[in-house]
Amino acid sequence: MTDRVATPSPRRPWGLIAASLVAVALAAIPVVHLVVRVLSADPAELAAVFDRPRIPLLVGNSVLLAASVTVTAVALGVPSAFLLARARLRWRGAWAVLAALPLAMPSYLAAYGWLAWQPSMKGFWAAWLVLSFVSVPYVTLPVAAALRIGSTGLDDVARTLGRGPFGSFMLGTWPQIRPAVLAGALLVCLYTLSDFGGVALFRFPVLTTAIQQAYSASFSRDEAAVLAVLLVGLALLVVIGEQVARGRAARRIQAAPTAGRRRMTRLGPWTAPGLLLLALVPAVAVVVPVAVLLSRVLTAETLQAFDGANLAQAIGNTVLLSAGGAVVAVALALPIGVLAARHRGRMVRGIESSGYLALGLPGIVVGLSLVFFSLSVVPALYQTALVLAFGYGILFMPKAIGSIRSATGQVPTSLEDVSRTLGNSRARTWWSVTARLARPGIFAAALLAAVSAMKELPATLMLRPTGTDTLAVELWQRTDISAYGAAAPYAVALLLVAAVPAFLLSDARAGREATREVIAPETRAGREATREAIA
Amino acid sequence: MRARRGILLAGTGLAAATLALTGCTAPADDAETLTVYVGRDEGLVGPLIEQFEEETGITVEARYAATPELTALLLEEGDRTPAEVFLSQDAGALGALADADLVAEIPSEIADLIPDGFTSQDDSWVGVTGRARVIAYDGEQLSEDEVPDTVDDLTGEEWSGEVAFAPGNASFQSFITALRVLEGEDAAAAWVEGMAANDPELTENNLASLDLVNTGQAELGLINHYYWFRQAAEVGAENMRAQLKFLPGDPGGIVNVTGAAILDGAADDEAARAFVEFLVSEQAQRYFVEETFEYPLLPGVDAPEGLPAIDTLVNPGLDLSDLDSVGESQQLLADNGLI
Amino acid sequence: MSRLEVRDLTVGYEGAPVLHAVDVEVPHGELLAIVGPSGCGKTTLLRTIAGLLRARSGEIRIGQRMVTTHGIHLAPEKRRIGWVPQDAALFPHLTVAENVAFGMLAGRGSARAARRAAKSDEVRRLLDLVDLAPLAHRAPGQLSGGQAQRVALARALASGPELVLLDEPFGALDPMLRADLRAAVRELLRAEGVTGILVTHDQAEALSVADRVAVMRGGEVLQLGTPEEVYRTPATPWVAGFVGDAVFLPGVLHGDEVGTAIGRLRAVPVADAAGLAPEDGADVTVLVRPEELRVVRADAASVAGGMAARPAGTAGLRGTDPGDEGPGDEGLDGIVTDVEYTGHDAMLALALADGVSLRARVTASEFVPRGTEVRVSIAGAVLAYRPET
Repeated sequence: MTDRVATPSPRRPWGLIAASLVAVALAAIPVVHLVVRVLSADPAELAAVFDRPRIPLLVGNSVLLAASVTVTAVALGVPSAFLLARARLRWRGAWAVLAALPLAMPSYLAAYGWLAWQPSMKGFWAAWLVLSFVSVPYVTLPVAAALRIGSTGLDDVARTLGRGPFGSFMLGTWPQIRPAVLAGALLVCLYTLSDFGGVALFRFPVLTTAIQQAYSASFSRDEAAVLAVLLVGLALLVVIGEQVARGRAARRIQAAPTAGRRRMTRLGPWTAPGLLLLALVPAVAVVVPVAVLLSRVLTAETLQAFDGANLAQAIGNTVLLSAGGAVVAVALALPIGVLAARHRGRMVRGIESSGYLALGLPGIVVGLSLVFFSLSVVPALYQTALVLAFGYGILFMPKAIGSIRSATGQVPTSLEDVSRTLGNSRARTWWSVTARLARPGIFAAALLAAVSAMKELPATLMLRPTGTDTLAVELWQRTDISAYGAAAPYAVALLLVAAVPAFLLSDARAGREATREVIAPETRAGREATREAIA
Repeated sequence: MRARRGILLAGTGLAAATLALTGCTAPADDAETLTVYVGRDEGLVGPLIEQFEEETGITVEARYAATPELTALLLEEGDRTPAEVFLSQDAGALGALADADLVAEIPSEIADLIPDGFTSQDDSWVGVTGRARVIAYDGEQLSEDEVPDTVDDLTGEEWSGEVAFAPGNASFQSFITALRVLEGEDAAAAWVEGMAANDPELTENNLASLDLVNTGQAELGLINHYYWFRQAAEVGAENMRAQLKFLPGDPGGIVNVTGAAILDGAADDEAARAFVEFLVSEQAQRYFVEETFEYPLLPGVDAPEGLPAIDTLVNPGLDLSDLDSVGESQQLLADNGLI
Repeated sequence: MSRLEVRDLTVGYEGAPVLHAVDVEVPHGELLAIVGPSGCGKTTLLRTIAGLLRARSGEIRIGQRMVTTHGIHLAPEKRRIGWVPQDAALFPHLTVAENVAFGMLAGRGSARAARRAAKSDEVRRLLDLVDLAPLAHRAPGQLSGGQAQRVALARALASGPELVLLDEPFGALDPMLRADLRAAVRELLRAEGVTGILVTHDQAEALSVADRVAVMRGGEVLQLGTPEEVYRTPATPWVAGFVGDAVFLPGVLHGDEVGTAIGRLRAVPVADAAGLAPEDGADVTVLVRPEELRVVRADAASVAGGMAARPAGTAGLRGTDPGDEGPGDEGLDGIVTDVEYTGHDAMLALALADGVSLRARVTASEFVPRGTEVRVSIAGAVLAYRPET
């Protein structure tokens, strides 16, 4: 309806913008801290860093790895999502769980497992392999969700116009899932840029390993800051790129929750390759490393030093801290996600982009900046669980934004209009209607933040209360001294605990429902939209 | 509806639990509690700290993490740090803190216990144990005679692609500094250049270098001796593929020290002094010998069996915590594209 | 009293207003239809009245209250307005009864409260009004388009509004359903004594259901009047063409007659928006409605043709005298080139001698097949407009 496009939007939602700016300001603490440090450093020293012959190699490697991992994750994730959401599949629920399982696996643990099996793995290909497969769920989950609510009506019309199956997919379905693909790709790219543990184990030199070296050898935080700023610059480019790619896309496609027909595809000869793909991802990311680690237990001497109470304590700490982190992450991400879903414009895009920047930073940088911040602002809370939970919130807020944005975006504004005219204020409308309907997406955002917090290591080391260890910390402390036997129980515990939110995220129930064909009465408007889109 | 109530309950429970956690960890700053940042493994140092607690009645709050992280943390915390003592895995970290004026002087009666060359020159920190630089070699491929007894030979063609080391590691960089002092800048520069051109296997840390030798990925690894013994304790010495060769008299065989410093805020703290004194006491030194196979620095305590005597190993009398000097070594490595 | 007054309303961006100086009035209890092509601003007007959009200038008064004026913008929740959007917008997490009950909660809307209120008598009454009582426990996804619209209307009425706004509510429905639902909505609003505004792009719908019609184009209201006024005396040729079938012929005005390609016709000059009437001797555009044309077989005796010509005693078009057969003998010769037969009438496409094409609407009994030679004439006067530039 051209009438709708020409309609000016209501006045600027200042309340929402203010809340978003607060969230962004908090999330920007690490970046601000970095910039201040760089600006106050000796310019000659900084210049010297850039002169190092290895810098171009580091930057090039970081970019190469991030790009290749992202492309691979998308190439694996989109077909996986299609199989889970649109294909006739037996045991769909089980496959959905397996597809989400790699979320529970930290990259350093996966790398560790693979290295124990194949010690000759090193360099680019090893890092590429492990990081790609571990991050596939970041693409699979949102794309599968988008496919489940989308319709195949456009595909069918395209088929009648003579396009083949792939062509009609690109014409009909791709525009519907493109934002989800872009959101997942963004997360994967930033995650790869900022990852240290997995990449370091394979001895692939990237910016994050250089940052770690700067801290551990020269104890030069200035040098580390400069390298980190380089990394932030790369992250900024990626975020802007995603904004540009997304901006042109799906404004026309208004998600109508009950729109149209969804046809489930028979796989036929594609069944075997499809199942192979669905099995391959969790196999590479989870099964192989876990199997190797468990086998190590049998040959280790330090197994007898198993302290059950310590393990229980670590599990409790992990669950509580990650839950706290998830709450903070969602609270920070809510205004930004709602703003981005409902409003357009440069300011909104800028706010959203700034929220994502911290995701490109390695955890040690974020941890140190929060040390500084909390000591300066709330010294009484320094080294308490609250600050650590807050740190998790800042770190993982960007992961929550995407889910909240898409869930809110799917709530039609006409529902909000109706609620307001029925006498409900903006706030009450938001709570009773929008948030209520977007609840699954908000919950998913919290789960994603929680599972990320469970795996987090470097910032935890910096910020945790002395004596409070999470499973990741305990695991690291043991693997750092090759005490595989002692490490194994913690590794297994971490995987099991993190598998819970991963399982919840896999939406296994929704997977089962999708096996029934959903046919809603096709409205005239729907048919017209189809014709319009094809024309 | 039920879900919402459930979420509310969970949220309240969470808030309460978090507050409880906060409560437990409020730093109790009375004279009977000592906060120590330990840059070493909890499994190893933990029991020693427990001994200290039993003997003195002082409660120790120990924060465990890797030395680089703890150093960065201390630098970031500045004078607002809750830490009172820092037990570090290498001297460079202690030097960095000293440079930032964050440490207090070690009382001379403690500092004098450790001989020169293995401790700080200005009493800003005290050495606790020593670790020799060694070459770990692949026991299945090489016999001990085939392994060079000087690092100068490592630039040879026969070792191309077979030498593993961690260029970002503090103790490796100390070794480079020692090389510059003992053999001169030009020779050291030539060595670094030669190694860089010889297809080295670069790693993140000493343990990774040892792993490469243990799995046959590299024939030689430049590490600290202590890592071999730790690994052997885990998997059994008879299962270790890598074997050790010490390099007495060679810059490649210098002794790196671990040490302890008292943070500035605890300059007059009795408990802090007591802890540092404990670390260089005979009891603790023996503990290190037995548990970690490191060299004791207190004269009169016997070195671990089978290791060459410490005075056969070269220490150039140069303050290994001198950061400026280490900075130049780093520049040398950077110029050759190693870091 | 829930009379609506809109004065001089301007909405939109500086330099590119979507609504420009719009004036609208709807007396209490009446139904106004706002009609116009896509992009004319009708939905914008509706949303501004609802308070979902802010005006740049102008006033809106509902009943006694000024809801929009300089410096005042009353929030939608305080305007006591019912809103029925195009897609019905039923809350998917509530049943039909709960949806309606949600409307009664007056600012304390929540799923839980709606569930409790769903059992009340008022909800039942409203559902009966829209004939949906048996479906009270259905989920919105299980309803047809028409049923959903009715629930939306019941929900809007549940809040006891002074004014109900409907945004193309029948747009998505089948034609048969539309007619029934239109009538039902009309009755319902009258019965509840509620003023209503309906936005549509379907002019036939607007004319058939509303007490008043406002025709909009390009952000302006071109004409506001009863359906008959708008149809019989459209303010501009464009309005004429929009609200019904129209044939335009160029002509020259001479006094109260106009010379056209189909002969001299009696004409009534129409002043344009600025108040300027066509001048004597000037070029004009003449509006001819298809039903005003009389079509007679050329070879037959004069048959009372043309839907506008009636036997004596019935109302004629613009002062046609019953005995005046118009310029029947002066009519032009032509041939029927195409026929659109709709059952109750037929639209004939005619080609006249000098290449002029016309369309004429005749009743079924006056049906003339393709290819027949006919004679065409006009009964009564036509409207003459200044030519649109």
